[in-house]
Amino acid sequence: MGTGGRRVREPLPVSRQGFVFFFYPKVYSKSPSPISRRGTFYIPQKGADVSSLVQRGLLLLALVVLAAAVACEDGGGEPTPEASPAALSAVQVPYPLSIVDTVGREVTIEAQPQRIASLSPAATEVLFAIGAGDQVIAVDMYSNYPEEATTRQQLDAYEPNLEAIAGVGPELVLLFYDPGELADSLERLGITTAVLGSVEETPESVEAVFEQIRLLGQMADHVQEAEELVAEMQGRVEAIEEALADVEQGPRIFHEVDATLYTAGPGSFVGGLYKILKAQNIAAGADQPFPQLSQEVIIERDPEVIILADGAYGESPDTVKARPGWGNISAVGNDRIFVIDPDIVSRPGPRCVEALETLAEYLYPEGFE
Amino acid sequence: MKLFGSAARAEPLPEAALSALLGRAIWPRLAVGLAALLGAALLAAAIGPVAIPADAVARIVLSRLPGVSLADSLPQSWQDIVWEIRLPRVVIAGLVGATLALSGATYQAVFRNPLADPYLIGVAAGAGLAATAVMVSPLDYTVGGVSLVPLAAFGGGLTAVGLAYALARVGRTVPTVTLILAGVAISSIATSATSFLMINHNERVLTTLTWLLGGFNLSEWSKLWWVLPYMLPAAAIILLYGRILNVLQLDEEQAQQLGVNVERVKLLLLGAASLATAAAVSVSGIIGFVGLIIPHAVRLLWGPDYRQLLPMSMVMGAAFLILADLMARTVNSPSEVPVGIITAFCGAPFFLYLLRLRQRAVF
Repeated sequence: MGTGGRRVREPLPVSRQGFVFFFYPKVYSKSPSPISRRGTFYIPQKGADVSSLVQRGLLLLALVVLAAAVACEDGGGEPTPEASPAALSAVQVPYPLSIVDTVGREVTIEAQPQRIASLSPAATEVLFAIGAGDQVIAVDMYSNYPEEATTRQQLDAYEPNLEAIAGVGPELVLLFYDPGELADSLERLGITTAVLGSVEETPESVEAVFEQIRLLGQMADHVQEAEELVAEMQGRVEAIEEALADVEQGPRIFHEVDATLYTAGPGSFVGGLYKILKAQNIAAGADQPFPQLSQEVIIERDPEVIILADGAYGESPDTVKARPGWGNISAVGNDRIFVIDPDIVSRPGPRCVEALETLAEYLYPEGFE
Repeated sequence: MKLFGSAARAEPLPEAALSALLGRAIWPRLAVGLAALLGAALLAAAIGPVAIPADAVARIVLSRLPGVSLADSLPQSWQDIVWEIRLPRVVIAGLVGATLALSGATYQAVFRNPLADPYLIGVAAGAGLAATAVMVSPLDYTVGGVSLVPLAAFGGGLTAVGLAYALARVGRTVPTVTLILAGVAISSIATSATSFLMINHNERVLTTLTWLLGGFNLSEWSKLWWVLPYMLPAAAIILLYGRILNVLQLDEEQAQQLGVNVERVKLLLLGAASLATAAAVSVSGIIGFVGLIIPHAVRLLWGPDYRQLLPMSMVMGAAFLILADLMARTVNSPSEVPVGIITAFCGAPFFLYLLRLRQRAVF
């Protein structure tokens, strides 16, 4: 198992991948953009009230993630997150393992799962990064990283088909979104199922990701690799925080999620990354995690850096510069418009630190070369 | 049977008396309507999510006149906001509102059906399908800074209507009931296909849903050229046919006997209304309710004569949508609310109020 982990983790520390994406903005692959993954998608969102209800519900869920993860570590006598990796090398997950998933369901895993169906792109990335890739037999169709994940059988996470999921014969199914009673239905079929929730709307982004990585480490019996991964990510986050220690207030930013000016507000996962970078999000004051800003407001609040996560829609620095009325925005005048891969920046997986580093370069060109 | 049916209709006024009555009466009410429209436009220009003093707005607008420069001392961002963002928004919202209300009135007249709205025979569903298909396609849909979405919406809307018309054709006539049924069926097909596309590309569902609910956040002056070339001739044609639409309210057969070429009029007016609606939808998305209630509101306020109902619908539709868009950009500031939500949420109660008010008098 350990060797598998090392193999797939190699690409992770390449800290300049952000530049690669900047110069080759067409490398996009399909993945849910941040806004879609809050599990609302379907017909809903008829009115603002519905969506905000859903949002609040999901925010709650995300909080439960943290609580649940902490609780199970305390209660189950598991290693504390702060324990050093060396001390954990001998740790074996005591099966049967009981955890509480993020929607409060008690999940009992009888033995190390050898056949995992991961219906969450973020969970897929984590599993491969902690060396559990060999245990993953099926993924959802947006799980496009690492490359190896795409060779697994594909399922649909948004319109999940019970029969198709059961058909791949999984021992453990990981969902980030339960459209109805999918988890219970799977359990009735004798398939252990955990809902991991999405942290899309959790501003404490990296912390939430760490918790999910640890939880997955336990479930897949890769506790040590999970701790190593968290430690490595933590180190990179701290390096950035250290470098920015003297920064009082970073640049004003506008993070464009799509061409109709949806953005990532401070209450979102992406917004949490900008918070770490001390950037001033011009969407501050919007109620929703992913608000659609009025053009007037964008011009008035004058972003100094514009980050485009909608390159796949055909938006580019040039199209932004050509927009009527945008000519006098600082970011346009100073040519500080950058394209970023939405898969990396909005997926709450191991690569969120990579996004953090890339964004740090865009926001502080002098500080991060 | 048909003679009796027409006698039972609600407009038994003799044509001559009607024209004598309304020929003079239209100007005062048009003046009232235009004043309301002007007021709505001024209000919408003065208010926005960014607080800019009304006098600054006035100076920025006046500075666009040749030889006038009153805005030099104002921040550049205000000038950009007022001239490049807010004003095109107001103007386009007005044009779209006028178009939808006029088309709605025309549809209601031609189909002689109070439930008709400009989306009845497929414009909206066709436009929505085509626009969604473009928005979820893996290809860039902005080519050289120009979005393909309006083009697709325009083409999709017209295709759906054309298809409905062709399918409803019986020999040399197009029975209105058949046309409605064909349009509704085509709309269902297009709507289900749209839903399928959205479900299958849920990573873009917010983009597509926002478009489908309609809005003016991305308005710019250049979008005028998407609407005006279709809207102006269509409006001219429809307004000229006010009297004939009155005659058409009697009964198709009777209208025929009175010398109206019913099939030709139907084709011409439905064609003009659909063309204008497709153009409006292409820049604004699918804004519901305006085309349905504005003509009814005008009817409730000022009666059913199409010679005044058509122009008054345009004026009131423009004013209504300008105000609805003002709410769309201010109630949830700094975020936007799709304007289609506002039109239904605020328009319906007002309409119900009118309905109650005039219950005894008109119906």
